[in-house]
Amino acid sequence: MKLTGFAENLHELSLLKENGTEEVILGMRAFSRFGRLDENTFFPMVKRARELGLRIIFEWDILMTEESFKKTVADISPFLDVADAVRVQDPGAYHWAIQQTKKPLQFVAENGNHNIEALLGWCHAGAGRIERIILSIELSRDSILDYCQKLPVPAELLGLGRILLFYSPRSLLSPLNPERETVNEDIHALGESEESPHKGFPVLENRHGTFMFHIKEFCLLDYASDLKSLGLSFLRIDQRFNERNFFPEAAKTANREKMFESFREEYPQELMRGFYHVNKSDVLFPKLKNMRLQNRSGDYLGEVLEAEKGSHLAILVKNLRGIRVGDKFRIVHPKGALFEGEIHSLKDVNMTEQTFIPHDDLAIIPFINGVWVKSQVFLSTTNE
Amino acid sequence: MKTTLPEVLAPAGSLEKLKVAVLYGANAVYAGGQKFGLRTAADNFTLDELREGMDFAHARGSKVYVVLNSFLHDKDLAELPDFVRFLEEIGADAVIVSDLGVVRTVRALSKIPVHVSTQASTLNVEAAKFWKSMGATRIVLGREVSIKDAGIIRREADIEIEMFIHGSMCMAYSGNCVISNFTQGRDSNRGGCAHSCRFEYTLEDLATKEKKSAFFMSSKDLQGLRLLKDFIDAGIDSLKIEGRMKSHLYAGTMSKVYSEALRYYEEHGDFLSDDLLNWEKELSKVSHRSYTEASLENPAGAESIFNERENNSAAEWKMVGTVLKSSPESGIVIEVRNAFNQGDELEILPFRGSPVTVVAHEIMDLTRKTILRTKPTTIVRLPYHAGINSSQLVRQKSV
Ligand code: SF4
Repeated sequence: MKLTGFAENLHELSLLKENGTEEVILGMRAFSRFGRLDENTFFPMVKRARELGLRIIFEWDILMTEESFKKTVADISPFLDVADAVRVQDPGAYHWAIQQTKKPLQFVAENGNHNIEALLGWCHAGAGRIERIILSIELSRDSILDYCQKLPVPAELLGLGRILLFYSPRSLLSPLNPERETVNEDIHALGESEESPHKGFPVLENRHGTFMFHIKEFCLLDYASDLKSLGLSFLRIDQRFNERNFFPEAAKTANREKMFESFREEYPQELMRGFYHVNKSDVLFPKLKNMRLQNRSGDYLGEVLEAEKGSHLAILVKNLRGIRVGDKFRIVHPKGALFEGEIHSLKDVNMTEQTFIPHDDLAIIPFINGVWVKSQVFLSTTNE
Repeated sequence: MKTTLPEVLAPAGSLEKLKVAVLYGANAVYAGGQKFGLRTAADNFTLDELREGMDFAHARGSKVYVVLNSFLHDKDLAELPDFVRFLEEIGADAVIVSDLGVVRTVRALSKIPVHVSTQASTLNVEAAKFWKSMGATRIVLGREVSIKDAGIIRREADIEIEMFIHGSMCMAYSGNCVISNFTQGRDSNRGGCAHSCRFEYTLEDLATKEKKSAFFMSSKDLQGLRLLKDFIDAGIDSLKIEGRMKSHLYAGTMSKVYSEALRYYEEHGDFLSDDLLNWEKELSKVSHRSYTEASLENPAGAESIFNERENNSAAEWKMVGTVLKSSPESGIVIEVRNAFNQGDELEILPFRGSPVTVVAHEIMDLTRKTILRTKPTTIVRLPYHAGINSSQLVRQKSV
């Protein structure tokens, strides 16, 4: 497993080289979400990277509406031409790069792509040009193992760096300070939500929009050897937001030359490992649903719309068969209590006695103590 | 040459809402099963309800698209094939998908047309071409795309285009927000969004150290009624209304307003009508945040931010109930959702045409006993009024 990372100046290129990487990811302001290189600083970086023998990966990970896409591809060639590979996330950039360039592609599958079928799809659609897939940090260890075994190309994962929570194309910080001159200027803020116990979400507005990050950084450095055994090919260390670049310490920690505990103590941000052990981000879903709504199937008959104490229950007949005198039924109260019975008396909406009430009509039956509105009615046995 | 009008595509959060949307004029509805869609807390459809909804819509010339737009994990995807076979059997008109794995699974198992969800944030011609090459027949564009660009995408990628015209909006690029995943352990891309963008935040500018409180990442609601002509001119195939979690009144009003506006255009070739003001009034009668045209013309700016607390949403009118039955024998039988009093003025929304005003001079309960005030979750009768039909919505101006 190799380490990879970003460089924004010549010193950082040297740091990468000295710490055993064979490549550098270069991000430019115009094409990368968080890149800070411009055309004056990009080419000297390329020259120096070449001298150091580093492979150059050009980061083009912004999302683009059609107008900005056209402008981007009109400007991008001189920079792409000098790169060894291009890293894309917008499916449009992916498709364009396959069709219009000869560069090897690295696809950022960090957004979703939580199943092997999707990841294989991106590889296959790349017509042999995909050289790497960048996996989502929401994946569990088991999924990473599975994917590394099944993918036809090497996989990369974030090993240390900020967790991007939110990416909007809209400028959301500058409206708070209308007097501030913000053209092409990054605005950094810390956000504190009224609803969350967490404080200090980093927020960044730049020319590509507004980004919010988690208060903690993502870190799997203590699992580096585990990730290597799973078959992961690249571990990315992202230091673009720290004043001091901790790449050397991170590399040593990943290589077990430095204790993780002492790394964590000196690192300026709190760390988390996300869903590495298990991803249970759907476990709360059943609780979000109204139980009443979960159990309408099979012998479902309808819903109690009115429960008039001592008088009647009005049931809206929702099944296609309808309801007959002699049918046996059970009623499930919204809180779960069960009532069973048989239809002896059945009236229609005009309160006229009937032997049958069809689909979509109101069926009036005698009141049953304890049954409330919104109780669900099921047929037990039918009187055919 | 006759202009082809876009379809009005309405949300169907439940079987009842599907029926309401179709009856009020939606050409198509989108609905979700119990799994695989993004609205975890919506009623959603059982298999029987999906079948019934499909039959109901098809019998009235409307289509049903089924949402499979979660970013599915492997274990979810493993459960998908049976559902896809079922959808094909009941005649689903399309599935709405955001994940490439789901696209490939649906394509391998069925001939159901695949629409790429807005959740995939398709924003440009090349992205549309990519999805087309994967077998998609329609793209639901990201809400960041202007109508003009959408027209270009349609022409150059040669694929059907669906655009949102109305409803709540994610402030993030759709599918690019995982706040809930990491702060609440709920996967927003599998239906667990906790709407953290609607919270108030205190923001400290790191350069000036100034602190400000704001609902800085909450978006106003989209409303594109006045841009209908532009949608038509750009050749947009489908106009989507957001809101499977929203009320019956919302589903009915939106379907009615947008389909009536398009019918007017079909007859007159323009929207130069006093009705435009009426349609706008109708849209303001349902609960909503302040409206914006967002990025439909130009990229959404500061004016598109809804810097207010959520419950300040405007709701000029409330729904008081649904007509269950209407005949000379039964009278107008109403399932009451919000209480009203004898003498109150109500409006019943016909499937076509202007609202019918009914004064509740006499209210009876189901046993025909006269009452002075209704209660929610009861059934009452009003005297018969010709032209009122079952499933029509009853509303009242909020005091
Ligand atoms: S929190 Fe807001 S922006 Fe994020 S997914 Fe939910 S609605 Fe969209």
